[in-house]
Amino acid sequence: MSADAVAVIGFVSLFVLMLLRVPVGMAMGLVGVSGFAYLTSGGPALKIVGHTTMRTVTDFNFAVVPLFLLMGAFATTSGMSRELFRAANAFLGHLRGGLGIATIAACGGFAAICGSSVATAATFSKVAYPEMRRFGYPQSFATGVIAAGGTLGIMIPPSTVFAIYGLITEQDVGKLFIAGIVPGLLAISMYMVTITLIGYARPGFLPAGQPTPWNERLSALKDIWATLLLFSFVIGGLYGGLFTATEAAGAGAGGAFLIGLARRKLTGPDILRALLETTRVTAAVFTILIGALLFGYFLTITQTPQKVTAFLTGLGIGSYGVLTLIMLMYLVLGCLMDALAMIILTVPIIFPVIKELGFDPIWFGVIIVMTVELGLIHPPVGMNIFVIKSVIEDAKISTIFYGVMPFIVTDILRLIILIAFPIIALWLPSRM
Amino acid sequence: MDRFIDSIEWIAAIFVGVVAADVFISITLRYFFGIQIPDAYDFGQLLLGILIFWGIAATSYRGTHITVDLVYANIPPAWQRAMDVFATLVLLFVVSVQTYTLFDKVVATREANLQTFDLRLPVWPFFALAWIGDLAAVLLIAVRTYRLIFHPELMRKPDELTRAVE
Repeated sequence: MSADAVAVIGFVSLFVLMLLRVPVGMAMGLVGVSGFAYLTSGGPALKIVGHTTMRTVTDFNFAVVPLFLLMGAFATTSGMSRELFRAANAFLGHLRGGLGIATIAACGGFAAICGSSVATAATFSKVAYPEMRRFGYPQSFATGVIAAGGTLGIMIPPSTVFAIYGLITEQDVGKLFIAGIVPGLLAISMYMVTITLIGYARPGFLPAGQPTPWNERLSALKDIWATLLLFSFVIGGLYGGLFTATEAAGAGAGGAFLIGLARRKLTGPDILRALLETTRVTAAVFTILIGALLFGYFLTITQTPQKVTAFLTGLGIGSYGVLTLIMLMYLVLGCLMDALAMIILTVPIIFPVIKELGFDPIWFGVIIVMTVELGLIHPPVGMNIFVIKSVIEDAKISTIFYGVMPFIVTDILRLIILIAFPIIALWLPSRM
Repeated sequence: MDRFIDSIEWIAAIFVGVVAADVFISITLRYFFGIQIPDAYDFGQLLLGILIFWGIAATSYRGTHITVDLVYANIPPAWQRAMDVFATLVLLFVVSVQTYTLFDKVVATREANLQTFDLRLPVWPFFALAWIGDLAAVLLIAVRTYRLIFHPELMRKPDELTRAVE
């Protein structure tokens, strides 16, 4: 059988196994090693299993994943999200749709210390949703805002998705984080504008709160010092070249822990819960990483990336045409699988195409994260939607999807802006 | 058995804390006091390996790996159970092969007398500890398979453990 036929059978088997709910990483590893064994022989294939597995789990660069997850877990359990929401509400709550705007601002702030969209969405489902409902915001809007705000978790640094993309493509993780800042701020601004427009387009739909006195605003502002300190310490250290990404993650985890202890916001059970949650996600992510690296041998021996590159560049639809096709593929895949799994599975195949087309790898990292963000909220299976549903049990999935629609339009518009003006993502890292 | 499984997850969780402490203390000492912890880097990566394998053991048992649930979410419970059993059997096969090949890696590392950079400590005991985690994964997945087939009511959800902490 030719290598091409084996590659096709390999990909079909991979998708069948994944649809049969075999863990994504295990499916990739099994197909990768079996395909490699078929095209070479069993001995070398078994050798790469032991070697690659041990090499992956002892690669210190990958420690960036558990350490940033731990930082986010400490930040979540020590209640920083609540303080951010209180401060944002004090300054923005009096505007029409102000609680929605405050939720977006607080999500943005929380994203600066937590690299997970799912964690951001889950946290604000508990913090912001009850407040919005208390003030008479429709359920669809309240849940839609939280779903959209949650996506900021992987755009604004630190971001586990950026870290994984950087490690797979051998790009500077620090530069990727910095590249996410301006697009992240653009996302916050555009979401806020969207809420304002909804407020003015449908008067009475979104109520305005009472203005908060200045002494209360300043008091609320005082509480967010911990978030500002942590973000400045981690991202400042990265931007200033003081830390590598792994060191920044370790400094962030240690910093979040000490701040939580100093403010008496972290108890023994909180610490254990944070460690436990980090362990679970880390193990799940590393299983995919190991599987992807094993699958990588299969891709190499079948020359899949080269063939995909030749095929796509030979279509004659221009570089932006190919980019559009790739993004459409991600949107479709976003209906099927987790963001990280999608990136780990596809980037080794797509990345050579991007390089061949002359696109900047850092810029593409931002674009891919934005596309994945869209996948987190678009029907039929946006991950954030299901997370919100699991927290707010009386909300229907269809209601949340209805509420998130305006933000999907905003996201598509932002994606177009970022493609038209790559400088938005590349300016800040170019100053490093 | 449940207590044994919880212990495995706690071991992995403690190693997460140790890796974080290793990195944080080593940065603090280096930047503020100009002191370098010997082998901090090597310890960090070896402990990372241990935590991953022990973590995978617990994750495999609890079924909290990242999966594609598109079909699973839309089929009746009996089919869901069949799918769970199939997926767990595949998992058992893959992790068993991995454990077998990793044993070779541990032995090869011992024979090569690989050592840490500063303290010249042998690396193989760390690899062996990681391997024991992988072996525990095989055992736990076998237990999961048995329970899924014969005692599905015994399968606890991961949230229950988190709640137990609270």
